[in-house]
Amino acid sequence: MKPTPKAAAREPRPRKGARAQRISLDSRYQAWLRHHRQVALDSGRRLVRQPFSSLFTMLAIAIALVLPAMLWLGLGSVRALDHSFDDSARMTLYLSPGSSSEQVIGLAERVRGEPGVSEVEVITAEQGLQEFQQALGVGDTLSLLDANPLPATLLVTPLERDPAEAERLAERLGRLEGVDEARLDLAWLERLRELGALGQRLTLGLAVLFGFGVLLVVGNTIRLAVENRRKEIEVVTLIGATRAFVRRPFLYSGAWFGLGGGVLAVVLLTLGRGWLSAPIGALARSYGSDYALPSLGGGGSLLMVACSILLSLIGAWVAVGRHLAEIRPR
Amino acid sequence: MAMITFEHVGKRYGGRFEAIADLNFSIERGEMVFLTGHSGAGKSSVLKLLTCLERPSRGRVLVAGRDLASLSAGQVPFYRRQIGVVFQDHQLLFDRSVFDNVALPLLIQGVPPLDAARRVRAALDKVGLLHRERALPIELSGGEQQRVGIARAVVNKPALLLADEPTGNLDPQLSADIMRLFEDFNRIGTTVLLASHDLALIARLRHRILRLREGRLIADEEAA
Ligand SMILES: Nc1ncnc2c1ncn2[C@@H]1O[C@H](COP(=O)(O)OP(=O)(O)O)[C@@H](O)[C@H]1O
Ligand SMILES: [Mg+2]
Repeated sequence: MKPTPKAAAREPRPRKGARAQRISLDSRYQAWLRHHRQVALDSGRRLVRQPFSSLFTMLAIAIALVLPAMLWLGLGSVRALDHSFDDSARMTLYLSPGSSSEQVIGLAERVRGEPGVSEVEVITAEQGLQEFQQALGVGDTLSLLDANPLPATLLVTPLERDPAEAERLAERLGRLEGVDEARLDLAWLERLRELGALGQRLTLGLAVLFGFGVLLVVGNTIRLAVENRRKEIEVVTLIGATRAFVRRPFLYSGAWFGLGGGVLAVVLLTLGRGWLSAPIGALARSYGSDYALPSLGGGGSLLMVACSILLSLIGAWVAVGRHLAEIRPR
Repeated sequence: MAMITFEHVGKRYGGRFEAIADLNFSIERGEMVFLTGHSGAGKSSVLKLLTCLERPSRGRVLVAGRDLASLSAGQVPFYRRQIGVVFQDHQLLFDRSVFDNVALPLLIQGVPPLDAARRVRAALDKVGLLHRERALPIELSGGEQQRVGIARAVVNKPALLLADEPTGNLDPQLSADIMRLFEDFNRIGTTVLLASHDLALIARLRHRILRLREGRLIADEEAA
């Protein structure tokens, strides 16, 4: 240690060798750890001592987090839906009524040979009728009809997923002899995708907005805490506390609020899911779907809590920085 | 080398008015000095300059040879740890025990708990309050509270002890007791600078006196 005028103001101390230096560094690290542990516990205790106001702050954080999280989860389902309909780029070729099965098979072969076609599935007029009856649950009423009114159809899967490409293929196949009509219904799929993109932006916007809300909630709570401990801040500043030392308890309070708010948000989401899943499951089943409400899962929950802590820490940091600057010991 | 040196120090608060004007004096290591003058003479301003709560508008303030203007904001806390300060209103924290109040400077410096406890008890013993370590400040008398404030100021064994009206709220008997404490610390080598407007009290104590009037030094009376 090189002698400085500052050091001269201290009590004279024995010279320290390299070994002593290392020990002192080590003990300084120990002291730092000890202080963090102490402050973390103390900040936690302060929160517990005011259970209602702490809970309100955490609840406000949780509510601000739940809404974007819900949207995000919902968006996940829409995307899954989109994915499950990916093969809906398939087109249906309605063959001329009264085509013989040889004609149908011959046409299927031909279509299979066309460029840009990946797969062809044949649905004969009889199969079509059966599916129709099943889907409507009308039993044998249709068998009262003299003749099968449905045409045979070919389900064609194009090689390309690209809608424009598929459209061109449909047009080409529609002109083939023996094909009445080629139908490609992509419009709703497009709409779903656009809705998805809109939802994504909406979620992002709301997440930013509500994330800002978390900052404000925590910031305001920490501002009050700083105000309440003004005297203490003044005193410790007078007797040599660093800014980091003064800031530390408030950052820990922020982290605790974030932890509480995040956990509460996960609990709210889980409760909400439980509450809605029965009616939604029933609704989905009535459509023959096994759709279930998406859940956060372990990773998602952790991410949510981590986000909450991070946001709260930032809020606390900003608030402490701003308000400590105003506090000057007299 | 002098412990404290003021060289042509001036201090303005905001406007044109000078709380301190061209102040020059020097205090040697191991001295005990009173700073006196009427209310508003600039005593607290001198101490605030010494604790880096204020910066001089003119001139230099040196402590142990170091110009305080050379301290960066980040260095100020570490400088403050080397001096002990006693306040008129003692500045105790009422939500924690006497022991914890005195331990505060050591907590700030990260002194290990066992070591800290030993030093806190030594300081409380010196001010005669070892038996009250578990008490809350609110349960103590004014004189006892001030003694806790002094214990906190000396727990770090500072080479320089500053006090601003430490007896301001106390009756004469208690004031004399408090002054004796400062003299005890001075006797073991601590430099003491003590601001007080209680002329009767400090006249009796026979130490060097710096008299201020309107921010100027009007007398520097050597110890009788
Ligand atoms: N922070 C401040 N802002 C403006 N004026 C101040 C401030 N502190 C002290 N003063 C003025 O400076 C002068 C000296 O004050 P001070 O140093 O407190 O004197 P003392 O402690 O001897 O009573 C007084 O006139 C006081 O009003
Ligand atoms: Mg004063």
